[in-house]
Amino acid sequence: MLTQSLFYFLSFLAIFSALAVIIAKNPVHSVLYLILTFFAITGHYILLNAQFLAIVNMIVYAGAIMVLFLFVLMLLNLNAETEPQKPAYIKIAGVVSGGLLLLVLVGALKTVDVSGAGGTTATDMGLVENLGMVLFNEFLLPFELASVLLLTAMVGAVLIGRREA
Amino acid sequence: MTSLIIVSVLAVAVLYLGLFKYKTALLPVSVTGLLAAAAMAAMDWDLEKMYFSEMMLFDNYAVAFSILLILTTLLIFGLSRNYFEKISNNVAEYYALMLFALAGGVVMVSFHNLAMLFIGIEILSISLYVLAGIRRKDPASNEASLKYFLMGAFATGFLLFGTALIYGATGSFNLAAIASSGAFESALFRAGVLLMMVGLSFKVSVAPFHTWTPDVYEGSPGLIAMFMATVVKTAGFAAFLRLFLMAFAEASAFWAITVAILCILTLFAGNITAVFQDRFKRLLAWSSVSHAGYLLLAILAVGFSASSAVLVYTIAYSLASVAAFGIMILVSRARGNDHLDSFNGLARTNPFLAFTLTLAVCSLAGIPLTAGFFGKFYVFKVALAQGYTWLVVLAVINAMIGIYYYFKVIIAMYMKENANAVAIQLNPGFRLVLSIVVFLIFLFGIFPGLIANIL
Repeated sequence: MLTQSLFYFLSFLAIFSALAVIIAKNPVHSVLYLILTFFAITGHYILLNAQFLAIVNMIVYAGAIMVLFLFVLMLLNLNAETEPQKPAYIKIAGVVSGGLLLLVLVGALKTVDVSGAGGTTATDMGLVENLGMVLFNEFLLPFELASVLLLTAMVGAVLIGRREA
Repeated sequence: MTSLIIVSVLAVAVLYLGLFKYKTALLPVSVTGLLAAAAMAAMDWDLEKMYFSEMMLFDNYAVAFSILLILTTLLIFGLSRNYFEKISNNVAEYYALMLFALAGGVVMVSFHNLAMLFIGIEILSISLYVLAGIRRKDPASNEASLKYFLMGAFATGFLLFGTALIYGATGSFNLAAIASSGAFESALFRAGVLLMMVGLSFKVSVAPFHTWTPDVYEGSPGLIAMFMATVVKTAGFAAFLRLFLMAFAEASAFWAITVAILCILTLFAGNITAVFQDRFKRLLAWSSVSHAGYLLLAILAVGFSASSAVLVYTIAYSLASVAAFGIMILVSRARGNDHLDSFNGLARTNPFLAFTLTLAVCSLAGIPLTAGFFGKFYVFKVALAQGYTWLVVLAVINAMIGIYYYFKVIIAMYMKENANAVAIQLNPGFRLVLSIVVFLIFLFGIFPGLIANIL
């Protein structure tokens, strides 16, 4: 019962703050609402027994990435005058295509049979230990290749950011 | 698998060469490494080996496309002597990033698990976001890089969402498990297929997700645009076809109509817009959009003849693009821009270049006796065998529109005069690569059986 009310509270919080991100006029408010969204999602992860994912989500998204966002926003010095205005037909086209996507997704999710799903209900499922077992057995190759990906990104960042000699 | 390891290690080795300032060794080491990688890939022929709990499957499809990607990169490296030096001192990093991108491409053609597909696409894309922006003082290059990055990141979101929905519907990332899950009727699975299709369409510039293509091609340095048009497009389509062939083939009744509509949109958007271009690089960018349309025809006809048709088409397209972009680089370097008027009188000053470019655009347009003709021929053949006659008719109309704008550059070279044009100097690398390309376009145009029956 407690879990259920917690779920509804977190879902409300997540949807409300996600909407606020795109509705808020002030970009800094948007970012703050986005942090709230991430916290709500972290709560969902804990409800789903994904403890490791919850911590990582908190540290990486709410911590590192959002701070970066805030920094960039404050450096850019955005205000109402510099905000680009889009013509009406682009806004309408965006609303229509976004609405269609929403329709398809809602239609798809409505038919999902939740009774058969669920998989394991073990409470230690999302612990680092179990995640590590999967990561270093079945998903060893993607895990190793992710290092190539990170190295590429690192070389690229240095290449772009370095001062020309 | 060995070839993937060689390519990744080679990229790191090239970075070290750059660190210790062995600038002259960069190209020889890269070329030797790539040759070794191609040879190791060829050793996997007919072995059908699975690696690391079915993460990768090196079947003949993967081997053939890996070799194609590696050899195309070799051709591009052959043109790269003294190219990157003009941009900045960080030459080793450029080679390393191209090699990393190639490693991503090899993963994309050999994946057997959606997690691998995602990692492959990301390795390829991230390298290219950087490579598009290596002219740091040039605003167009910066714009290309940023635009590509934002669009690519957006597309990756769709791809990941689709992957998640498919996992939800089938309970697995494994292609064979997805194909045998029998969840094709579930709306969740179908939404997943559509979202993955959107994500992949972005990457291979299929309309209506193609809008980034002309700006990114135009802003990127010529050699990088060449890499995008050849290696990236080949890897993207090989991954597209592999996913739909190995995982979603049974659900084809559901997604075929969507692909058919994307195909028509892409053909018309690419070809009609290309007619109005007066810069050669932008023309090639739009023509690369239209070629994505022809390749979609083959995806409609899932089956093993489809892989063979895509292989022939991508070989022909890669060869012709290497020549066309290469000569575009030479002309715009010598005459200041890539406007079609810059090609005036090229036949008189540089007969070899004019002939090569003529052959390349004929191959792109699909004129007989060139490899491009058989590329289109096999693609149309597999589409006809599946009963898409109306689609093939539309594609042939588009091929005719294509001839119109491809011939504009031939007319400029042979019919128009430019009084103060001077001959363009070729370095040995260009001469060698262009000769190889001319030879291969003719060879595959006269003996298509050499490549048509590989798969």
